[in-house]
Amino acid sequence: MKCRKDKYAVKIATLAVSSMVFLLLTGCWNNRDLTEINMVTALGIDRTEDGKVLLTVQVVEPAAIQSTASGKGKGGGAQSKPVFVESYEGETVFDALRSMLSIVDKKLFLSTAQVLILGERLSKNGISEALDFFQRNHEVEYEMDVLVARNATPKEILEMETDIDPIPAVYIKGTIENTVSRAKAKRTILLDLIKDMGDSGRQPVIGQVEKAGEKEVRTEGAAVFRDGKLAGWLDPYETRGYLFAAGKVKSTIVNIPADNGKISMEVIRSKGKINAEFKNGEPAMLTVRVGLEANVGEYEGKGKLDSPDDLHKLEEILGDEVKKEIRRALDKAQKDYSSDIFGFGTQLHKYHPQYWKKVKDDWNDTFSKLPVDIKVDAKIRRTGVIKGPIKKDG
Amino acid sequence: MEKARISSIQLFLLLTGFLYGSTVIINPALGAKNDAWLAIILGGVGGALLMGVYVSIALLNPSRTLVEILRDRSGKFVGNAVSILYIWYFVHLASLVFRNFGEFMVTVTFPETPMIIVIGIFAVILVYAVNSGVEVMGRLSELFMPVVPVVVLIISLSLITTRDFTAFLPVLENGMAPVLKAAFGFITFPFGETIAFLMLFPHLNQKGNLKKIAALSALFLVVLCLVIFMRDISVLGSGLMQQATFIPHLTSLLIPGLNVEPLVDINLLIGGGTKISVCIYAAVKALSQVSGIGDYRKLTTAITTFCVVLSIWVYENVLEMLSWAEKVWPYYSIPFQMVIPLILLFLSFKKRVKPSNVRNGS
Repeated sequence: MKCRKDKYAVKIATLAVSSMVFLLLTGCWNNRDLTEINMVTALGIDRTEDGKVLLTVQVVEPAAIQSTASGKGKGGGAQSKPVFVESYEGETVFDALRSMLSIVDKKLFLSTAQVLILGERLSKNGISEALDFFQRNHEVEYEMDVLVARNATPKEILEMETDIDPIPAVYIKGTIENTVSRAKAKRTILLDLIKDMGDSGRQPVIGQVEKAGEKEVRTEGAAVFRDGKLAGWLDPYETRGYLFAAGKVKSTIVNIPADNGKISMEVIRSKGKINAEFKNGEPAMLTVRVGLEANVGEYEGKGKLDSPDDLHKLEEILGDEVKKEIRRALDKAQKDYSSDIFGFGTQLHKYHPQYWKKVKDDWNDTFSKLPVDIKVDAKIRRTGVIKGPIKKDG
Repeated sequence: MEKARISSIQLFLLLTGFLYGSTVIINPALGAKNDAWLAIILGGVGGALLMGVYVSIALLNPSRTLVEILRDRSGKFVGNAVSILYIWYFVHLASLVFRNFGEFMVTVTFPETPMIIVIGIFAVILVYAVNSGVEVMGRLSELFMPVVPVVVLIISLSLITTRDFTAFLPVLENGMAPVLKAAFGFITFPFGETIAFLMLFPHLNQKGNLKKIAALSALFLVVLCLVIFMRDISVLGSGLMQQATFIPHLTSLLIPGLNVEPLVDINLLIGGGTKISVCIYAAVKALSQVSGIGDYRKLTTAITTFCVVLSIWVYENVLEMLSWAEKVWPYYSIPFQMVIPLILLFLSFKKRVKPSNVRNGS
């Protein structure tokens, strides 16, 4: 009996192994080796003046990276550039990508792309048409970071060579990733952008990238969209206000005035919640509730910091400061851009579907007219290694 | 009748794998959009009842396959004619699942491989499985089926941080009508398709468990589908979910820093493989009984080849496949899944009740 079982086990194992072999073999049909592809690290799209798509790719040369890495140790020597940047015009994104092969040798491989940079002109004309390719193509990673270039074309940004990282795209991605500890730029991955574009109750906000010098980029602030078109920009503080309200702040430094100087508060935890208060079947007021925890990070001044009361005072000031930033972001969204970037509409859709059906089509205008109540509850927990600033005869 | 026997747990796993089958990638319940969870529950209840009908037929006609039951209850000629219709239905079903499988693989994994290669190679393995008999199919399911919920769990847990748990709101935005329609679709695909199991039930070694097994596997599928639906909608949001061609695949792409996409393929291979092999088995077994060929194995290769060819011919493009599964299939299936089985159940009851009445009267 046991023998028979073993025989079956062998049979099953053979079947499993052979099925795996079969399936792996079919995978080789369009197998492409590393040496036969161009690995795209960053993509930029813009519109030309006559409405065509201008696609820019940044492609990495793995061999060159190795030589730069070892070259640094040896102190120079002949170096080939680790990346190259090419642009091509086409009717659509896909058209441009394929047509570009007339000037680039090997097929462009998109799964390695880290950053997608949208041009200002494209953003003003509308981004949804150009983004279809990125949703549809199976090579594109939905985790890719999306940025809007300000005062520069995507091509100019991608062509910059930096000393910080051999691959500029990795460097740009790094600067937008570290926004978790400063919260002054909005990080948007492709997936979130696609979701927001398909949601009539929330307008997309995309991080902004600009040139900071010859060799650096700066990712600060954010671009506000309305119905797929660029409506305007948020400065770094407004961006932070927006992120506080949206509950997306992980950590940041908020400066507040204090006795004889200023204090930098390190926000270590924060959550934001938005809602709408209803009266007689209509929303009477939109509400923003933010709760945050902070530590005293730096005290530039001569005040004292001994009792809990001192901290309570600071908590109030901190709360007001954050509230001001949120108010600024809201004013911009409501009055200047008339675009519900916070997602109040989504909230209404979920909890008041009947009302939402009525206002869906011109929600952004309704949103602009509603009063907003903001409440920030700030808690200061710790003061670091010392309590008050050190001073003579303190 | 071959003497192959399968245990309760094997039948349960076969049944679950069959139900899960291509539901992995095409779920008619999702026609109800945000309310698909309700459609899944309602459809699950309906589906369980429908499976109850098939089980009752099997219990009223112990040790008889569908073909034999049809012949017993409606005479040899009508029985054979209806059996041939069922053979067509099983063959058609098998080729549709083949196509689902091929279309999925070609869209997401092997975009430049001709679909016939993908389907053909899969078919070779399935012919081997079917020819090895019901016992082997049962054991295979024992080996592979446990992987399915594990994969679902892995993908679900990996995405737990990027979720919006209120994404399925609002409830019943568009009223009950689309929910009921989707629920009906969910009854016919996959529950109604278990009619093919009437060819397998006679092999079960403990007949008493049949009802329990069917109910359990229906419950299991409903839970699995609910988990998958909640995961997908909370990760993708309802807008993107409606536009995705193959939803679970898209979800699996979103796990940061980890490529679990092949796991979805594996699930499809297991579920789809179980489903196709059961369909082909049912078809060839029925054909061998109708035509009086003793050994069904002689027919397997031919029928499977036919299925593969049919699967290539049957649709022109992927959207035709998706809309057919949602719009035509449920109605096409009504006679096979509901009308004939209900008549059969009625006939089985009548014939069983009659003799006892006679006895009482005498």
